[in-house]
Amino acid sequence: MPITFKKVSHEYSANTPFAYKALKEIDLTLAEGKITAIVGATGSGKTTIVQHLNALLLPSAGEIEVVDKVIKAKEKPKNLKSLRKQVGLVFQFPEYQLFEETILKDVAFGPKNFGVPEDDAIRIAKESLSMVGIDESFYERSPLDLSGGQKRRVAIAGILAMDPQVLVLDEPTAGLDPQGAKQMMSLFQMLNQKYQKTVLVVTHDMEHVLDYCDEVVVVENGTIVMHTSKQEFFQDSSLMVRANINPPAIVRMRTTLQEHGFDISNDVLDLDSLAKAIAKEVLL
Amino acid sequence: MKNIALGRYIPLDSVVHKMDPRAKIVAMIILLIAIFMDTGFIGYGLIGLFVIIAVLCAKLKFDFIWRAMKPMLFMLAFLLMINILVIKTGYVVVSIFGFKIYSDALFQTLYITIRLVLMINITTLLTATTKPMDMTIAIEDLLTPFKVFHVPAHDIAMMISIALRFIPTLLEESERIMKAQTSRGVDLEEGSFKEKIMAILSLIVPLFVSSFQRADDLANAMEARGYNPGGKRVRYKQLKLAFRDYLMLFVVIGFTVSLGVMSYIGVL
Repeated sequence: MPITFKKVSHEYSANTPFAYKALKEIDLTLAEGKITAIVGATGSGKTTIVQHLNALLLPSAGEIEVVDKVIKAKEKPKNLKSLRKQVGLVFQFPEYQLFEETILKDVAFGPKNFGVPEDDAIRIAKESLSMVGIDESFYERSPLDLSGGQKRRVAIAGILAMDPQVLVLDEPTAGLDPQGAKQMMSLFQMLNQKYQKTVLVVTHDMEHVLDYCDEVVVVENGTIVMHTSKQEFFQDSSLMVRANINPPAIVRMRTTLQEHGFDISNDVLDLDSLAKAIAKEVLL
Repeated sequence: MKNIALGRYIPLDSVVHKMDPRAKIVAMIILLIAIFMDTGFIGYGLIGLFVIIAVLCAKLKFDFIWRAMKPMLFMLAFLLMINILVIKTGYVVVSIFGFKIYSDALFQTLYITIRLVLMINITTLLTATTKPMDMTIAIEDLLTPFKVFHVPAHDIAMMISIALRFIPTLLEESERIMKAQTSRGVDLEEGSFKEKIMAILSLIVPLFVSSFQRADDLANAMEARGYNPGGKRVRYKQLKLAFRDYLMLFVVIGFTVSLGVMSYIGVL
C-alpha cells in the first residue's frame, strides 16, 4: 500500500505565541517499493514530514495513510506500536540513541520491545549487525566506545532489526566519510531491491539521489514544490536552481557543455553516456 | 515541556524589567527575610499586597504566575498529609473513622502554604523580569566582596550562566532521544515496572553521554579561545544603579523594617 498524505498540516506549539506552521496542507503519495529522496533547505519541513510517518508527530489537520493505518487529525490513534514496528525511523545522528551495555543487546532492544523472544532477538540482532558490516568481535563491546561511523552503523542496525516494511532515514550519511556514506546508501539500495522495502531518505547530497534513488520530493517552506522521477528531476537543471539545490557533478558538467554549444541530450545522467556524447561531438 | 513557566524570562517592557539586576536580587533577599518573620496573617496580607503591586508594575499576567506555582501543588498536598498525620494539637475539626484531624494541622499547612506561595511569587518576579545573563552578572558582582574569603565569584557566575544556557538544549535533546526510542518501540506510558525502568534508562543513558560530550566540547572550545578562569577581564555590559533602583530598595527595606518593628511591638 502506498503512503498518502491528504491535506496534512502541522503546527508546532499551537495556540501559543510561539506557534509555527511547519507543514501547509501537503498532498503526497509515495509509491511502495521505491527509494524516494526528500530534499529541501534546512527548516523546510523535511524532518516534520518524516516524523508523521510513524506518528511521532500527529497532523494538526488532514489525514495520513501508512501501511494499514489511517492517522487523522484530532483523533487519538490506536495501536501505534504495530505502526512503529512497520515503519522504522532512523533519526539524524542516531548514535545518540545507544544506551545498552553491549552492542548486541542494544540492537536486540528494538525487536524485544515489539515482543520478539530473547533468543530470536539476539539472532536477528546478529543478522542486522552483519548487514551493516559490524563483525562478531564487536558484539560484547560497549556501543559508547565505538568511533562515530561505527556507532551510526550500530544504531541503524538497531532499526533494521525491527524488520520494518518502510524504512525512513533522516540524513543517514551526515558526518560519515564518503566511503562510509556510499556503503550506507548501497545497504539501503540492497534492502530495497532484495526485500522490497519502501525506503525514504532525507538527504542533501544530490550525488546520492542520482546514484540510489528512484523518486525525488522537493520540500520548500512547508509545502511540496515538486515530486518527480529522478530522471525527470535531473534533466532540467533549472528545476534544481529554482529549488536552490546544487546539481550533481555530472549534471553541472552536462549543463556547462551545453552552454558552450555542445549538443548533448538532457537524458545523459552517467559518466559513460556523457563521454560517448562528447566523443560524438568532438570526433565528428 | 516547553511550557514550563517556573523560572522563565518573559521579555516585556516594564519598569521592573529595567531595574538593575543587583538591586532586584537584594530586594528579593530582603523580602524573603520579611516572609520568614513571624508577622501573622495580617503581615502576610501586606506582603501579598506588595507582591501584587510589584507583579502589576512588571506587567506580568496573573495567569503566568499561577502556572509557575502549579508544580508546587503536589508538594503542598504532600505537606498537608504529613501535617495531618503529625500534628495533634488544637481542637478536632473532623473525625473520620476514628481518625482525627486537628485544627493546628490545617492552620500550620495554611501558614506554610502562604509562605511558599509568596516566596515563589517573589522569585518568579525576579526570574521573569531579569535576563539569565544579567542575573549571572549580578550574582558575580554581589559575590565579589566575598572574594576576601576565597569565594570564586567569577567561577560560580560562569557555572550558573553555562547551566542556564544549556537548559533549553537539554530539553530539546531529551525530546529527540525520547522520539528516537519511541521509534524503537519504547512505550513511556504503559508497560510493566521492569519495562518502565528500561524505558527511563534508555533516555537517561544517552542524555548523560551527550551531556558529558557537550561539556567536554565546551571546555575545549573555551580553552582554545584562551579562557582563563582566574584572568582579569572587563565587561561589555556595565551595570549602573539608577534612581529607580535606590527608590525600590528604599521602599523594600522600609517595608520590611516596619513589618519587623510592628510585629516586635505586637501591633500585628
